[in-house]
Amino acid sequence: MRIIIDGRNCEAEPGEYILAVAKRNGIDIPTLCSSDALPGIGSCRICVVELIERNKTRVVASCIYPITHEAEVITNSQRIIGIRKTIMKLLLSRAPENEHLSNFAKRYGLWPSELLNAQEEECILCGLCTRACEELGANAISTVGRGTDKKVSTPYDEPSAVCIGCGSCAAVCPTKVIKAEEVNGTRKIWGKTFELLRCKRCGKHYAPREYIDFMEKKLGEKSEADYCSSCRKVMQAEKFRDIYRI
Amino acid sequence: MSDLISAEKKKILVCCGTGCVANGSIKVYEEFIRHLSGLSDAAAVEAVVKSTGCNGLCERGPIVKIQPDDISYFKVRIEDVPEIIEKSVLDTKVVDRLLYHDNTTGKSFRSHKDTDFYKGQYKIALRNIGEIDPGNIDDYIVRGGYSALKKALFQLSPEEIIGIIKKSGLRGRGGAGFPTGMKWEECKNSEGSPKYVICNGDEGDPGAFMDRSIMEGDPNSIIEGMTVCAHAVGAEEGYIYIRDEYGLALKNMSAAIREAEKHGFLGEDILGSGMIFRINIVRGGGAFVCGESTALMASIEGKVGEPRAKYIHSTKKGLWGKPTVLNNVETWANIPEIINKGWEWFNSIGAEHGKGTKVFSLVGKVKNTGLVEVPLGTTLRELIMNIGGGIIGDRKFKAVQTGGPSGGCIPEKHLDLEVDFHSLESVGSMMGSGGMIVMDDRTCMVEVAKYYIKFLSEESCGKCIPCREGLRQMLNVLQGITRGEGKESDINLLLELGEMMKEASLCALGKTAPNPVITTIRYFMDEYLEHILNKNCPAGVCKPLTMFEIDEDLCRGCGICKKSCPADAIRGQLKAPHSIDVSRCIRCGSCIDICSFKAIHTARGAEK
Repeated sequence: MRIIIDGRNCEAEPGEYILAVAKRNGIDIPTLCSSDALPGIGSCRICVVELIERNKTRVVASCIYPITHEAEVITNSQRIIGIRKTIMKLLLSRAPENEHLSNFAKRYGLWPSELLNAQEEECILCGLCTRACEELGANAISTVGRGTDKKVSTPYDEPSAVCIGCGSCAAVCPTKVIKAEEVNGTRKIWGKTFELLRCKRCGKHYAPREYIDFMEKKLGEKSEADYCSSCRKVMQAEKFRDIYRI
Repeated sequence: MSDLISAEKKKILVCCGTGCVANGSIKVYEEFIRHLSGLSDAAAVEAVVKSTGCNGLCERGPIVKIQPDDISYFKVRIEDVPEIIEKSVLDTKVVDRLLYHDNTTGKSFRSHKDTDFYKGQYKIALRNIGEIDPGNIDDYIVRGGYSALKKALFQLSPEEIIGIIKKSGLRGRGGAGFPTGMKWEECKNSEGSPKYVICNGDEGDPGAFMDRSIMEGDPNSIIEGMTVCAHAVGAEEGYIYIRDEYGLALKNMSAAIREAEKHGFLGEDILGSGMIFRINIVRGGGAFVCGESTALMASIEGKVGEPRAKYIHSTKKGLWGKPTVLNNVETWANIPEIINKGWEWFNSIGAEHGKGTKVFSLVGKVKNTGLVEVPLGTTLRELIMNIGGGIIGDRKFKAVQTGGPSGGCIPEKHLDLEVDFHSLESVGSMMGSGGMIVMDDRTCMVEVAKYYIKFLSEESCGKCIPCREGLRQMLNVLQGITRGEGKESDINLLLELGEMMKEASLCALGKTAPNPVITTIRYFMDEYLEHILNKNCPAGVCKPLTMFEIDEDLCRGCGICKKSCPADAIRGQLKAPHSIDVSRCIRCGSCIDICSFKAIHTARGAEK
């Protein structure tokens, strides 16, 4: 089906999200909480756009709005830019020292004229980490509490019994607040320390035993857990070379 | 007392709703039982005592009604029980001092139905409450209970049921006002199974107790409404989500479900029709946001109670991703009556933009605090000044806040507004679930806005930035204004944040959260400016901006203010004008509230 985004005709599959269609057509909509790999939750609201259907205009979050019939979308009207600027004003007031946020605001021309009562936060509660943990990890972290005190944590802020130390949360965190500290063959994350396995080929520490066990259980098969991911790639390549005698 | 009550027997109905229980009605109930069992003559056998749900006029509880003589007693104490039995149970006389006495004329009324508070009411959702023992299913059946279910199962097709609800014009009583019949139809036509039916009993608005009263006082009407819907949409499983603080509601709902199952109104093979429908109770953990339908469903699923976008309706993908009908307690209670009496009847009641009745919890600075059910289209003036009996102490009406914490504050100039879904929105407020908080001239509107924003900033789910961070900053600005640190630019900042939150927030909580701020700025801009520019709180509420003065010409020297002052700050001889010692005054306002001669007023900022 056809939708018009910023005056441009775009093809969309029924149920496809506006953001995905825009991206495919080279139309850049700013986002903070969206990832191609994880389900959208529409929490940052930066990606809002105007949707015009049946002569009515409304503001929707493009990352989670599914296209079900022909419509027109405007991604950069004054109204939309105004909303984004106010949201950025709030976010930068929450986390004034955050480099990712300031770069983002400058890149999209959303730097606010003033900051409000500043908080000293780093986390912007985009929810990417909790979604990554749900999809890739063991559901060890979630948002905790509600209202202005909401935060991301493990249950009761204690080291989680189920955390496998995969580090997906840290890898996906756009503001780099979640840190996986690696020293002397251990990884420390969310207050829990994991022994890292050593790669039998290159000798590098690469993953916690808990993670490997979890993945094997999930996949239902033995993995080549003795080697780190880069060595496994090299070994695969060598295998192919032998088979095809290149 | 499970046998049906014959018409000749006298019924003593003791209100055991939460308000009356707090006023000691359980003891009164027990006293009636004790006294009756102690009577040896045959007359005692002819009377039966019942504990009922809330009668609405909690202000004057405990309430006791004698039927069939239609006598209503208010503020009944244990000591009154023997006299009531002697005069009204064993005889047909009344105890005049316990009757309802009109606030102004002093006239007494034998039946509560003739009083101003009840006269203007029309009860559909509350039809049985106060008339039946909620723990006795036979009481419900005697009053026509479960006849709608029989009609729905054996005389109507699912399409016909949905047609009746659609044509009745019933809209959801929980807040958004979505047409109920359309919701059911969407669910019925949605692919996917199983389908679910949910009752939202997570009432969380400060001062609201409509749903609580229905769950406590007439649980079977909810069960019957849900079962009719389950039949219409093809659901076999239902949930009632009740906030855990509502202990009595949980108890009465659970007992009613068990009884309904025993009587064949729920469970397997309902009334021999082959229909299956089970209802489970889920206890809510007390998060206000879980009253939002999608957050409620997430909570039932065991997830964090956060709303999701409703771009895809719950009627298509609701609980566990399956088609779901979710309605509020009051909506469900309306269903059996509509099925029994027909859509034409329901549609003939109410206003253009809202058919039927609405239950409001009328609280705040109004004389008759309580629960009222009126036809939609009733004016605010009728509700507050007649049914509510006007403002306590005959002070000046200032505003009424409708629709819960994220509703707006409506000023005096809109008192003649006929209340319906559309009209309240047109003045910046909303129907919500029916909270109605009345404020007098001793209410500071900036403080009111601050109160609601504080509540919401604690109760927002915190998921989306506009709501969470917007409320945080709004609260900060409002706290500044009430401390005397306000700037002129604050008004524009509040409006900028408010507009953005309305447009960009994820759920209805965030979209409506700025209402208290936007409406108080719209209708009470002077008061904001007085705080900001003159550092003065005209209502005498914000302590750093308040000073009280006694007008020597009006003061009669009665000394009551002196007695009520907790800080010993008032000086003066009896029958001579008094004065306030500014250095001792803690600005609590006790003196201004208690003065009968209106001799105490707030001083202007410049004079401080």
